[in-house]
Amino acid sequence: MGNLIIRRVAQMLLIMLTVSLLLFAIFDSDQFREKTAVAELGGFGMATLSDSDYHQWLEKKGLTAPFLSRYVRWLGAILHGDLGQSTEKDIEVSVLLRESLTNTAILAFFVFLIMIPVSLTLGVLAGMNAGSPLDRVISILSVFTTSIPQIATAVLLTVILALGLGWVPAKSAMTDGWSFRALVLPLLTLLLYDIGYLVRMTRAAMTEVMASQYIRTAVLKGLPYWRVILRHALRNALIVPVTLIFLELNGVLSQVVVVEVFFQYAGFGRMLFDAANFGDIQVLQAATLVAVCVAVGSQLLSDAAYVVLNPRVRFT
Amino acid sequence: MNQHALLPKLCDQLRDGSLSRREFIRCAALSGVAAGSAYAMAGISAPAMAGGTLPFPAAEQGAKRGGKLRIGQMVARMEDPATYGWNEMANQTRPMLEYLTLVGPDNVVRPMLIESWKPSADLKTWTLQVRGGVMWHNGEELTAEHVAWNIRRWSDPALGSSNLGLSTFAALTEYTGEKDSKGQAVRRPLKNGVEVLDSHVLRLNLAKPVLSVAEDCGEFGTLVVHPSFKPPLSRNPIGTGPYTLAELRVSDRCILKRITKTTDGRDFHYWGGEVYLDEIHFYHYEQENQTAALASGSVDAIYELPVEQIELARSIPGAQILSVETAQTLCCRMQVDVKPFNDIRVRRAVIKAADNAAIKRLVFGDHGLVANNFHVAPVHPEYFPLPPVARDVAGAKQLLREAGYGEGIDLEIVVGNNDGPWQQAACEALRDQVKEAGINLAVTVVPATKFWEIWRKVPFGATSWAHRPLGTMALAQAYRTGASWNESHFADPEFDQALSDAEATLDVPARKLKMQKVEKILQDAAVVVQPMWRPVFILASVKVHGYKPHPARQIQLNKVWLS
Amino acid sequence: MNYRVAMLLALVWLPLSAYVMFRPALGALGSYVLLPAIPSVIVLYVLALRSWRESWVAILGVTLVCFWLLMAVTAPYLPLLDPNKPLVPLVTPGGMGHGALFLLGSDMRGRDVLSRTLWGCQRVLVWGITATSVAYVVGAGGGLIGGYLGGWWDELVSFAGNVFLSFPVMVLFILVLNLLGQSGFNIIIAVTCSSAPVIMRIVRGLALDAKSRDYIQAAQTRGEHPLWIMLVELLPNVRGPIIVDACLRLGYTTVAITTLTFLGLGLQPPDPDWGLMIKESATAALLWKYSYMLIAPALSVSSLILGFNLIADGLREMSLRD
Repeated sequence: MGNLIIRRVAQMLLIMLTVSLLLFAIFDSDQFREKTAVAELGGFGMATLSDSDYHQWLEKKGLTAPFLSRYVRWLGAILHGDLGQSTEKDIEVSVLLRESLTNTAILAFFVFLIMIPVSLTLGVLAGMNAGSPLDRVISILSVFTTSIPQIATAVLLTVILALGLGWVPAKSAMTDGWSFRALVLPLLTLLLYDIGYLVRMTRAAMTEVMASQYIRTAVLKGLPYWRVILRHALRNALIVPVTLIFLELNGVLSQVVVVEVFFQYAGFGRMLFDAANFGDIQVLQAATLVAVCVAVGSQLLSDAAYVVLNPRVRFT
Repeated sequence: MNQHALLPKLCDQLRDGSLSRREFIRCAALSGVAAGSAYAMAGISAPAMAGGTLPFPAAEQGAKRGGKLRIGQMVARMEDPATYGWNEMANQTRPMLEYLTLVGPDNVVRPMLIESWKPSADLKTWTLQVRGGVMWHNGEELTAEHVAWNIRRWSDPALGSSNLGLSTFAALTEYTGEKDSKGQAVRRPLKNGVEVLDSHVLRLNLAKPVLSVAEDCGEFGTLVVHPSFKPPLSRNPIGTGPYTLAELRVSDRCILKRITKTTDGRDFHYWGGEVYLDEIHFYHYEQENQTAALASGSVDAIYELPVEQIELARSIPGAQILSVETAQTLCCRMQVDVKPFNDIRVRRAVIKAADNAAIKRLVFGDHGLVANNFHVAPVHPEYFPLPPVARDVAGAKQLLREAGYGEGIDLEIVVGNNDGPWQQAACEALRDQVKEAGINLAVTVVPATKFWEIWRKVPFGATSWAHRPLGTMALAQAYRTGASWNESHFADPEFDQALSDAEATLDVPARKLKMQKVEKILQDAAVVVQPMWRPVFILASVKVHGYKPHPARQIQLNKVWLS
Repeated sequence: MNYRVAMLLALVWLPLSAYVMFRPALGALGSYVLLPAIPSVIVLYVLALRSWRESWVAILGVTLVCFWLLMAVTAPYLPLLDPNKPLVPLVTPGGMGHGALFLLGSDMRGRDVLSRTLWGCQRVLVWGITATSVAYVVGAGGGLIGGYLGGWWDELVSFAGNVFLSFPVMVLFILVLNLLGQSGFNIIIAVTCSSAPVIMRIVRGLALDAKSRDYIQAAQTRGEHPLWIMLVELLPNVRGPIIVDACLRLGYTTVAITTLTFLGLGLQPPDPDWGLMIKESATAALLWKYSYMLIAPALSVSSLILGFNLIADGLREMSLRD
């Protein structure tokens, strides 16, 4: 177990190094540089800029030094905790990162808070009564909600709840200070999809376990039904959903991009999207590294949970 | 008070009816007459717009003091006003820093930090009278030396300010005779371009005659800073306006608070009369989200209402939609030296097959004004109405046949939607119209940033041209031979001569007559399909009074109040 | 049986792709290129009905998918209004304007919603299917190489896969599309980058498992070329789970393309496209009375994705029952 963690962490560091080099090379391309120039000087200003002025601007930004030296310098800065300055927003990347990660963490916290109990319960109930009307309803609903793209849910919820009924603000920019009501729309959009997904997976696992030999034997032996479920079935059925929940950490980071952009919520996804559009290289690099960290971390947690929960499996 | 030589002539023209009252006022203002006096001379009471020499009324009737105005606009950085790239940056700065002149929503130029301006007869020497009693935030008084410092800065090529594109500041430079690496001529500031005569008077000695000095001093990049200015502005803004910066977070918010004391402890006295709002909050909303934000009550007013969202805006209770006509337009211009557009018959065919009025109706409905392909708008003072271009499909076909395209012709127009998807809608409408004449027009949409790389190179492109206060300004930049933004490669010495002639004429009716010739040449040359002058819409809650839409999207908040 | 299906699929996919990707180059041929696809779709549907008779879930799914496939290939021949031509703005569904009947109303610019919805499935289907197929080829190739050849091939391929797997999917899309530009072809590259590693892992696992089987060892003894073994012996035996995964993946890819187009990173205007329709309705039509502009594309894309999901569920159910 400890071996697993050490190996995975080492792999993660290696991957992050590779990724950071790749990113640096990508953002060093002429395309991205021009993109940053356009964003700062305006499209029209850029078009009328002479070559020497452009070169001067590049020098001012420190973009004319050789590639490797800049990379090494940047690496050194990162290890000292200096993540650079956002050219678009004119604040330090570490500050920006901290704030946006906090915001996304708050959103994710509420998502998980509601999603986990609701979907596990529904999935277990459906799996226990496989084939019954309850199961049918839950299955159909969950397949349906996972088929609707989140942009469609987002717009529909805005039409109904925000502009139609007026219960919640249409955009979550939190201009009047933090309020939970502004969080409702992004929360619902994410939940609708995630709950459906987790219910499907839980139900599949539960039905498989319920059909297995030892459960049927236990019931035939005369053990109380509920005890069988709680003691034996659940423990095995929930292995896969729990590992999936850890992987959802990675999934949420992905889903949250479009939700935050549409609702203008100042979270990690929106920061990444803005930085990519603008060509804000420092932010993009830091954000991508964080994203890689979260992704690999969630995979690691998921695998570790699997090992812990399933004593029959041991990774060599 | 010194009167301009033209003034008696203007009064005569007003009396015998050859000049309308509005144009008299405009023209008098151009000659340096205070707006209030101009209205008095025209025999009408000054409207709420002009009070004394103020560019806005000193006080509003029934206005209430206090309150926080929340505006939904993209919040940008504030580095150096002279190199501002976006209009939003200027809007955030306008409550703190001010201009020498103010171009109002009615496209009339009024004095702001300079009280009056007097050109010489040849329009090469302009004497500017700086307003007295204007206080900086640090307690000093505004002097001509401060103004001169700013003007010298704007006309310094080393700074790279976009203000150099304006005739006034370009005329304060001269060519050194050398060329830079891109083959463009190098410039340097004129030796004695800006002359300070005393504490409140300065003189501009321009290298060539310029008509638009007053207008140029109201362009969005000409905010006046204190000579102690060092970028970024957001760190230490010292201006003459009634507000100061309390907080700036790019892409989040910009908070401005009213100033009551100067930095050295004295009371701050604003030269412009009463100011009502306590605080101004700009909250960052992307353009397409601003209307929804207002609908939810998160903001009280927004930067601009795009035409696609008008239906949505109409359904918001307690909101008012305001619009203004502008000189902003779409130029579907053809390059006159590239096949097949080098044949004037082809260009004329495209124009004849187009129906400008129908395109305007399709894109803007009842709003906006129809344009007639010569890039001078009814809101311009020197606009001379030419007869509209009538649609003539048969004529277009005939012309194509003569040019050798009897079987039809395939063309492509490139559009970048820099100002919004309405540009694409207009091009597509054009495509459907010219199809009837046998022209197969393919509309190619490119991302906005890509468009700026190719806009001058494509043979047939749709470029959005921003509002300019004078009709001659866009013509000089777009159609004069060799001008840097001459995307159509139009080169006609007769046109250049006529335009220069018009630009040297201060007298508005005389200039109008000269513009008739200029406009006719351009219209006959069939260079551009210019279907309409677009309107600008804004949306605000009914609680907000005095918030007016501006053709250049300038937000002027000094006299805005909340009920 | 497999080759028949493969040929029919090719007969549908090739003309449709040519139509969507290369229409300007086709010229006059463009109006005829889709004709062979129409009967192919119908035959495919009938074949699916017969072989998946026992699972109503799979039947429902394949009905939805084939409906949209049929719409995609017959769109040019149906009596629809021009999807790009603005006529009368904001007509309510069932209303008339300009002498034309707008069954689903018209959008902000006056274009017929019904015809835009029916035409819109072409681009989603073509780019989605193409992108997923390319991802499969790359992923399966990598998985076979890694699983079968082993050794440092395996290490290399696995590491490359892990690098790409370390990104959240949307982050990867944003980076790739911002770097390469926004177009359908670049979407293929982006989807491949995100999906191929997962496919590679699956195929690699299956290959490792099958490597020890008798028929593989027999082929090795015969002296067959490793590539031949991989393609001819190995691949056909792992196709069951792959088809299920393929259907699910087609669903994810469709969501991804629609979302990317919504964000402005995907397919560009002016052609009709569901993601663009949702985007336009999101800016202008946030009122309930204009919600038909949103519901038509949303329902369409949801039904297509539902179709893929149901086929996957149904096939899985059937394989469990065996």
